[in-house]
Amino acid sequence: MSDRETARFRVLLFGPARERASADHVLVDAPVGTACAGLLQAMGAQHPALAFVLPAARLAVNHALAPADRVPDPGDEIALIALVDGG
Amino acid sequence: MSVQARIVDGPLDPQAPEASPGSGAVLRFEGVVRPVEPQGPGGAPRELAALHYETYDPMAERSLAALATEMLARHRVHAIRVLHSRGRVSAGAISFTLEVRAAHRAEAIAALTEFIDRMKRDVPIWKRPVWR
Repeated sequence: MSDRETARFRVLLFGPARERASADHVLVDAPVGTACAGLLQAMGAQHPALAFVLPAARLAVNHALAPADRVPDPGDEIALIALVDGG
Repeated sequence: MSVQARIVDGPLDPQAPEASPGSGAVLRFEGVVRPVEPQGPGGAPRELAALHYETYDPMAERSLAALATEMLARHRVHAIRVLHSRGRVSAGAISFTLEVRAAHRAEAIAALTEFIDRMKRDVPIWKRPVWR
């Protein structure tokens, strides 16, 4: 059994993700030390309404696009960047 | 060599590019809200009253500036000026302008094309149709 502590992350939503979730943010629980890729997976599991944007989504951490292996701090400003529009 | 990037509330004004001594190519691209769009992917065409643009601030403006700086260096152009709307822009109005100045057309066209492709992929701006 894992003894990793769980942290709660607040993730801002925009565009179609915000409309689908009917909220401007979601809370995501994940073990401390979870990287952005894992946080996106946890988001999909905990908020299935957002699953439709996650395959093409990335996270921004403190207003910069974050690589998949970036480990955000629960106090960071985290945003779901899912750009699905055409031109 | 210079970069300007701004998010502006509402539609943009049509403007002639500023004089640019030393640049043999001056491109100005204007993105205009189309009056008819398919309703959803593969959907039937429907009349559009406006698009509503949502931006994640200040990341959107910072991302435009960073992208312009990258394109300036990669394509060796002289200057890039980009404006993008936030909020409602009616059909037929301008929501995006991109000006590129360079010594020659090839690098100006390459910078303009890559900028727009990357902007749609990386800059946190979303649009929502307002149907008639």
